[in-house]
Amino acid sequence: MPTQGPKGDRSGVSRRQFLRRAGGTAAGLGAFALSRPGSRAAAQSASPYPEWIPASTKSPKRGGTLTRASAWDPPMLDPRMTQSVGLFQFAGLTSNRLVRYSFADEASHPGDMTLKGDLAESWTTSADHRIWTFKLRQGVKWQNVPPLNGRELTSADIKYCFEAYAKEGVQTFNFKEIEGIETPDKYTVRLHMQAPNVFVAQALAEPISIVFAREILEEDGDLKKRCIGTGPFILKEHTRKVKVVLQRNPDYWDKGRPYVDEYVILSTPDAATRTAAFRTGQADFIHVASPSEVEVLRKTNPNLVAQSYFNALTPFGLAMSQDKPPFNDVRVRRALAMAIDRQRQVDTVYEGHGILGWGVPYMYYQDKAPTAAQFGPWWQYKPAEAKKLLAEAGHPNGFSTTLFYYEYFPQMTSQVQLVQADLKKNLNIDVKISKLDYTTYYGRYVDPKWEGLSWGFQSGHAVGLDERTYQYMHSKSTKNFFRVNDPQIDELTTKLRQTPDAKEQRVITKKIVDREFDQVLRLWMPYDNGFMIFQPHMRNAAALALRRTDAYGSPQVARVWLDK
Amino acid sequence: MYKYVIRRALLAVPVLLLSSLIVFGLMRVMPGDALTALMAESGNIGEKELAKVRKDLRLDLPYHEQYLLWLWQMVSLSPGDSLFTGEPIAVSLRKAIPVTLELTALAMILGLAIAVPIGVLSATRQDKPSDYAGRMVAVTGLSFPDFWLGTLVITFAAIWFQWIPPIGYTSFWDSPWRNLQQFLLPAAVLGFRLSAATMRMTRSTVLEVLREDYVRTAWAKGLGGRLVVYKHALKNALIPVVTVVGGQLGVLLAGAVVVETIFALPGMGRLTVEAIIYRDYPVVQTNVMLVAATLVTLNLLVDLTYAWLDPRIRYR
Repeated sequence: MPTQGPKGDRSGVSRRQFLRRAGGTAAGLGAFALSRPGSRAAAQSASPYPEWIPASTKSPKRGGTLTRASAWDPPMLDPRMTQSVGLFQFAGLTSNRLVRYSFADEASHPGDMTLKGDLAESWTTSADHRIWTFKLRQGVKWQNVPPLNGRELTSADIKYCFEAYAKEGVQTFNFKEIEGIETPDKYTVRLHMQAPNVFVAQALAEPISIVFAREILEEDGDLKKRCIGTGPFILKEHTRKVKVVLQRNPDYWDKGRPYVDEYVILSTPDAATRTAAFRTGQADFIHVASPSEVEVLRKTNPNLVAQSYFNALTPFGLAMSQDKPPFNDVRVRRALAMAIDRQRQVDTVYEGHGILGWGVPYMYYQDKAPTAAQFGPWWQYKPAEAKKLLAEAGHPNGFSTTLFYYEYFPQMTSQVQLVQADLKKNLNIDVKISKLDYTTYYGRYVDPKWEGLSWGFQSGHAVGLDERTYQYMHSKSTKNFFRVNDPQIDELTTKLRQTPDAKEQRVITKKIVDREFDQVLRLWMPYDNGFMIFQPHMRNAAALALRRTDAYGSPQVARVWLDK
Repeated sequence: MYKYVIRRALLAVPVLLLSSLIVFGLMRVMPGDALTALMAESGNIGEKELAKVRKDLRLDLPYHEQYLLWLWQMVSLSPGDSLFTGEPIAVSLRKAIPVTLELTALAMILGLAIAVPIGVLSATRQDKPSDYAGRMVAVTGLSFPDFWLGTLVITFAAIWFQWIPPIGYTSFWDSPWRNLQQFLLPAAVLGFRLSAATMRMTRSTVLEVLREDYVRTAWAKGLGGRLVVYKHALKNALIPVVTVVGGQLGVLLAGAVVVETIFALPGMGRLTVEAIIYRDYPVVQTNVMLVAATLVTLNLLVDLTYAWLDPRIRYR
């Protein structure tokens, strides 16, 4: 498989060391059985650490404080105004959604995207998928904090919340698709969609679709200061740039949960400090990017538990101004794709532990992660053919262009420079790089006037198929940052929204992906796979595909318990 | 002296006005605004909605009106709310200022406590091993950037001692011991650089003063070594040292930005850097003005200290 280097030398871990560690880990954990998810291609797992940690078979213990050193700070507490991971690293713990994806202790493998009821006990849809009916759980109470004081959640709360989302803020685009909301009784919510959409339940299961309390919005005029929900934890303290303290909600509707008494998120902007916090036990879990970082951590914390986190998609790629020359010519885009050695990026920048890059999570159209061959002819590293194709497109001597980016993490700069070198060496394309700060980058990127190239992104706050296809690729979507403007893609993504059959969905999704790769609509770049590192006493904390326990997958913390 | 102080205070007004114009202008020249930072990543907001929120935040006003509005807010000591978080800036400052004050004050104390004795020792034992050692420490301190030293300290403290300062700021009044644990290491990192510059200056000025006639007279009178050095020489040698320390205050505040980030302290540095990243105009402008006013005041205090150190100095 293309995403891996030679197994033996990628992390400097010998087979014997691996076996010893695996054995030690298994012994130390007792209940943890290390297994492979079965949904992944074997050759892609060169990491000596398991990709999946099944749920503990022991009875969960109550109590204790879970702590994490976090890079993110919530800009504000208002879910209408931000989709920042800073907020959603805990907002899904103070609040619930109508529907949710499986937690790690329910899932069979990391890619399990099964929907489960959260505030809704069940849901049905009309034959034309325009009317969605959700039956709420009875007896769900808001947290026993003024002004809610533990009153019961009703369908009117859902209606109010969804209407508020549609009215203003960053979720308007999604919730505006709801034409009307009916509440025939206290426990029934009926959504009337403007157009058929089979993915409504998925959209409502996204981490950002939390249900907030109407009293807060009515009293404060916004949700910037208070965060009170129906969730497993009560927000006890939020001191900006210091910490977020979440206290167990004793009246939580899911009886017995959560298991830990307190979850403390410490604002720690520096990566070295976060690592030091884990080393010294001030943090219970951490995400690191490379195998060498795991090895270094192991030296001081030999009993740590590592989960090799396989990314189901890459968030970053080359966005081309494909509405303007020269990138409006598919031959130019294909030439670029063939001239960039992505495997070299995986091997050097990500120490062999990364994916080549694709935009739609593979589990939506096939069981195993895509191979390099599956990407098609334009995605193979063939510099000579790339040069020939560029000449056919009328650029035998290359051309000059620009590339702007924001450095999300240090490896990104290396990748940008490797792309620049590849394009110069193989196609004589001069790329002038501009490294921008966060706000300048976004200001420029979301404005559809930029020219040349950009290191584009797709955000991680939503994981559904609709999000990854229609929302990011349809020409009319406000999230179409890569400026995809392809009638076939428009047709397919719209059709996908109207296709209830799961098998047929996979077929259409595959067509979308094939079309994307054939036309090189988004030139995906490699991304790390990373590792979730846990203290040995943590249970049921495994990260799931697209749902990292420390990030948008934080609701998983309600299932975590401490075995000490 | 009073006339001098009043004159200096009046001179500070144009300095501060100029600073306000520069920071206001620079922030507007930078592309993007707080809304872009807050909402752009989601991509789910249209131009119409953006325009509405911009209007609510008064970002649609002409620049001169925005400037005058902000100036009035500063003069009336009510700097408004953060565009990004909505928190009143006065509240943010009330939380951040004590952190940075404590950090820089401790760094200053530690820096001087290291610099002055070693500087004097170096000077009195010129070209001896202890002098070379002192000079090496000084050069090392000047060569190590704060971010490097801070990262090294926190990493090796964790590896060697399985200890780092507790993360999650605690105020001195809530728990003095925990607070000191959180501040001593970062203050030492910050103070080390300050001590390097101060140590070099102390050494050279003490060396110079020790060659003065009045010091030779003191030796000739048979006074003890310590008495000559500490009572007669050091006080006169300190005037340039005070100047250097005064000049280092800006460096100390700049270093605080990095050190606060590494040691997770919620001070002015982190507040300002975050506000710059997210184009939180009023927060950046207020913080810069506060730092400018502090530096103007401290420079005045430094000037006034000269008279205490050398009574021959008169202010006109």
